[in-house]
Amino acid sequence: MRKHWGSGVIWLLLFTMPFWMLAVGGYTELAARIVVLGLAAMALNFLLGFTGVLSFGHAAYFGLGAYGVGMTIKYLFPSTAAGVVIGVAAGTLAGAIIGALIVKLRGVYFAMVTIAFGQVFYFIAFRWNSVTGGDDGLTGWGRQPINLGFTTLDIQGNDKAFYYFVLALFTISVAVMALLLRGPFGRTLLAIRENERRARFLGIPIELHIWLSFVISCFFASLAGALFALVNNFTDPRFLRWDQSGTFVIMAVMGGMRSFWGPLMGATVYVLLQDYLSSHTENWMSFVGLVFVLVVLFFPRGIVGTARTRTVAEP
Amino acid sequence: MKKPSTPTAMTRRTVIKAAAAAGAALLAPPIIKARGEEPIKIGLDNPLTGTYAALGKNELVGAQLAIEQINAKGGILGRQVQLLVEDSTSGEAGTAVQKARKLIERDQVNFLVGNVNSALALAMAGVSNEKGVLHIVPGGHTDGITGSSCHWNVFRVCNTTTMEANAVSSALLKNIGKKWYYITPDYAFGHTLQEGLEKAAAKGGGTKVGGDLTPLGTTDFSSYLIKAQSANPDVIMFLVQGDDMINALKQAVQFGLDKRLHLGGAQQELESLLGLPPEARIGTWVFEWYWKQPDVPHVKEFVAAIKKKTGKVPTARTWFGHASIWSCALAANQAKSLNALKMAKALGGMKLPPEVGLMPNEAYFHEKTHQLITTLYVGNAQAKGSEPEDLFNVTQLVKGADAAASPEEAGCKMTWPSAT
Repeated sequence: MRKHWGSGVIWLLLFTMPFWMLAVGGYTELAARIVVLGLAAMALNFLLGFTGVLSFGHAAYFGLGAYGVGMTIKYLFPSTAAGVVIGVAAGTLAGAIIGALIVKLRGVYFAMVTIAFGQVFYFIAFRWNSVTGGDDGLTGWGRQPINLGFTTLDIQGNDKAFYYFVLALFTISVAVMALLLRGPFGRTLLAIRENERRARFLGIPIELHIWLSFVISCFFASLAGALFALVNNFTDPRFLRWDQSGTFVIMAVMGGMRSFWGPLMGATVYVLLQDYLSSHTENWMSFVGLVFVLVVLFFPRGIVGTARTRTVAEP
Repeated sequence: MKKPSTPTAMTRRTVIKAAAAAGAALLAPPIIKARGEEPIKIGLDNPLTGTYAALGKNELVGAQLAIEQINAKGGILGRQVQLLVEDSTSGEAGTAVQKARKLIERDQVNFLVGNVNSALALAMAGVSNEKGVLHIVPGGHTDGITGSSCHWNVFRVCNTTTMEANAVSSALLKNIGKKWYYITPDYAFGHTLQEGLEKAAAKGGGTKVGGDLTPLGTTDFSSYLIKAQSANPDVIMFLVQGDDMINALKQAVQFGLDKRLHLGGAQQELESLLGLPPEARIGTWVFEWYWKQPDVPHVKEFVAAIKKKTGKVPTARTWFGHASIWSCALAANQAKSLNALKMAKALGGMKLPPEVGLMPNEAYFHEKTHQLITTLYVGNAQAKGSEPEDLFNVTQLVKGADAAASPEEAGCKMTWPSAT
């Protein structure tokens, strides 16, 4: 029963966030940013923490989602829903194709190739000035109100409405990921993570499972990217760059990549540190780096992972 | 064997610890400020790190001086003014957008000021327009800001790239030569500056013999310089700025290109010249403001005030920062309101008073484009002047009105919100 209690508190905090954010010095968009980047880190962790495969190129799919939604609204039709669908489809399709090409690689080779493919997308976005806006980013578009038939969701002008729109998609995504991980598919991924050779001897199609895990992970990463573009009403080629991928890995590792909620915690800490410290010092990155080093040295299982291990050890 | 743990378990203690950590992180920012007379807030979202750090920091100094002066003169609408500063980075538009949202959302600033980088300024203008906050762009030059992407709430103090191109091109065509090669930064500023120069050159019979787009933050220009040399131009136009300008010119002089060709360009800044070795302080350029203007009233006092603050003379950037903040105050005091719409109406067409303008010709905001029409200073960089910081020899003053594109040419169609 205790684990439900824990998740319950997280959900309670997430659902009430816009109401106490301002009182503690935050703002609604910061809350949305935490949720969105948390989703991206959790998507990455589906692959990293639960399949044991390190991708250093997830920013590519995140960014494809972002550019997908931005370019759809700007060039095709002014509909947020269509933009999100197209963005997610673009990111997932790219993930499916690239995943199929690299699924046989392992360890550092896998990580290197994911960086390489990620950078391909970065340079396309950076150089193709006439379409993507190049280094300037994609401006001149914004999220549109969503027509639900019976009512219109004003995510354009109402920050809280937009936050709950993001949170609803986050909730569905997290539920789907949790269900997948709890079922036989998730157990198989864990088996691959723990001992790939043994899993292979058991007759599990390893490549297929890693590919599926990669595609699922890319699906949610591109959803996060699409939402992130909507948070900012803006996209930037840097959303696709390898250091953005690194940020997701940092979030997952900092929060605890063996735990389900760890990456969300990592993303929360990262976003808050960035938001707060960067207003006070130009060298905020060194503080984030310091926290990361401390976490890796003293809490190798991440913030959530360590806390949990300690409690379990107690009688 | 490790301690047993169930993969999805999340205990109460975990959550309490997590909540405590999150709470501690959230509590860190200042919670609620003292009530009573809230100061007027101006948010400066400008580079403090990266390629444009030196430029951004000088704009900050100018802004700080303006805040002190405004507060000494009774503030805005009788209230004190406070400057909130955020580092936008030099090239990450995503960060600039995030900071702009933070300033508007959390800090509830009455004015937004920024950015040095044109691309970041354009991206920020999208945010300020969405939120309806009066926005002054101190130093992002790309045409679009007061052209095709102009907004009712966005005003710009520095010149457009077209104004710079028109101001400098005749001097280059007449005195140097007609074949130009471009080394252009690959973002909004570079794109429109090169476009403007190509147009201006074409009018005077000049041609483009080649060009390269260089990513912002390039440190090694050797391959571009070799290519430029082999195209055999009369002038290599260095359109890069900030640290990129220093690296590019330094390397060009090391290669000995200055002995064979003219190295010049359009926009040049005192920050860059100060960062260059004396032998690389060469070429024909345009400055947007210069500290040595003995005949213009109030300039001496401004230079003295800045020197007192920093020990250095003000640059065009210092002036941008100063004029931008003053524009905020002038707009509010003229409109007698903090309503962005009323302030924007008041600022359109406004002439800057001489102690703010600090130029031979009266500077004013164009009513239709919201572009400040200034004076441009065409001249040559010099290795050594009468004083250590006198590194530019002004040969010609160009009136902004003569160099600027008309609102129709600029493509500015402004839509105003309905008054509320």
